[in-house]
Amino acid sequence: MATMKSRTIFLTGLWKENPVFRQILGICSALAVTNLMVNTLIMSLSLIFVTSMANVTVSILRNVTPPRIRMMVQTLVIAAYVIIVDIFLKAYLPDISDALGPYVGLIITNCIIMGRCEAFARSNPVWPSFVDGVASGCGYAFVLLSVAFFREVLGFGTFFGMRVMPMGWTNWTIMVMAPGAFFMLGAFIWIIRSLGPKEEQKPGVAM
Amino acid sequence: MIKKRLFSVAYMFGLTFFFTALVSGIYEVNEERIAINEQIKLQKVVLEVLGIVPEPGTTDMQVREIFEKRIKVEEREGRILYRGFAGDGKTLVGYAFPLYGPGFWGPIYGMMGVEPQLEKVIGVAFYRHSETPGLGGRITEGWFRNQFAGKRLHARGKEGRYFSFVPAGTARADSELDAITGATGTSRGVERLVNENMKDYLPWIAREKAEGKI
Repeated sequence: MATMKSRTIFLTGLWKENPVFRQILGICSALAVTNLMVNTLIMSLSLIFVTSMANVTVSILRNVTPPRIRMMVQTLVIAAYVIIVDIFLKAYLPDISDALGPYVGLIITNCIIMGRCEAFARSNPVWPSFVDGVASGCGYAFVLLSVAFFREVLGFGTFFGMRVMPMGWTNWTIMVMAPGAFFMLGAFIWIIRSLGPKEEQKPGVAM
Repeated sequence: MIKKRLFSVAYMFGLTFFFTALVSGIYEVNEERIAINEQIKLQKVVLEVLGIVPEPGTTDMQVREIFEKRIKVEEREGRILYRGFAGDGKTLVGYAFPLYGPGFWGPIYGMMGVEPQLEKVIGVAFYRHSETPGLGGRITEGWFRNQFAGKRLHARGKEGRYFSFVPAGTARADSELDAITGATGTSRGVERLVNENMKDYLPWIAREKAEGKI
C-alpha cells in the first residue's frame, strides 16, 4: 500500500469518509450524549483518544497477530483503552462521568473504532494509523458538536452552560429528548450530503 | 497446525495479561481519588435530601466541611443514619437514611431525608443505578424526586405501604406517585425498595428517638 500523506488521511477521515454522516457509524452515542455541549466534547475527546490509541496498538501488533484471532485482539485493545478513559473520568471529572453514565463504557461497542482497526490499522504503519484514528475521531467530533450546538441552544437556551438565549425564550424540550436528536442528525446528514460531491451512480441503477 | 493454534492461545494469553495488568495498575494509582469522589458524592446526596443545599460554586472541599459540621453519622445494628443539624450545629433539621434494593437491571442506591418529627419527607435522591437511560434512568430527574417532597409518612393498608406508584398522570391520593412511563420494571423495583427501607428505618428511628438515643 502506497504511503498516504498524513494530510490526505486526516482530511479523508474528517470529511470524505466521515464515519458518522458518510459511513453512518457511531449513531447510538451521537444521539445519546449530544443534548449538552460539554458532555459531547468529553465524549468526542474520549473517542479520539481510544480510536487513535487502538489504531496505534493494532498497527504495532499487525505483523505478529494471528489473522484468525485479530478481532478478539482488537476488542481487547479497545476495551482496555476505554476502561482507562473511564477510570480517568471517574477520578478527575466525576460530575461529567456521572452525566455520561453508561455511554463511556459503550464506546467499546462503537463501530467506528473497530471499523478503523479492521479497515486501516491492521494493514498500515503506526504513524498513518495514528493520524487515521485522530481523523475519524475528529470527524465524529465535528458531527456531534454540530448536533449538540443546536440541541443545547434550542433545548436549554445555553451554550456550554452559559445562557445565550434571551429570557423570554421557551425551551424546545423535544431537542433534549431522543426524537430531537434523530431530527437534528437526519437534517445534518441530509444537508451535508447535499453539499458534498454527488455519489457515482452504478450503471443500470435508476435514480 | 498445532503450533499455530498454540501460538494463538499463548499470544492471546500474553496480550490479555499485559492489558489487564496495565488497566489494573492505572486503577490502583487512581483508586483513592475515585473513592474520595464517591464519598463526596454521597455527602452531597445526604445534604441534598435534608434540604441543605450548598450554593452553586461550592467546592468539593467545602462540601466536606459542611458535611462534617452539620451531619452526625450513626451506625448501629446494621443500619446507618445521618442526623442533619442547622447552622448552629444543635437544632435537628432531619434524619436521612439509605434506600437500597434491586431495580430492573441492577441495584438502586438512594437516600431519603425526613423531618425530625417523622411526619413528612424532606427529599429523596437516587444516586447510583444501572437502569435504562431515558427510561428507568429518569428516577434521577427532578420531577420524579420532587414527587416525594412534603409527602406524609403514613403507612397504609394491610401491608403497611407508604407509597404506591400508579400510571403517570393518574396519581390522586396522597400516597400515590407517578411511575415512569415505559419503565414498569424500574418503577416496581423503586416502589418495593422505598417501602421496604422505610418500613425498616422509620419505626427504628422512632424507637431510638423515644429512648433518647438520637
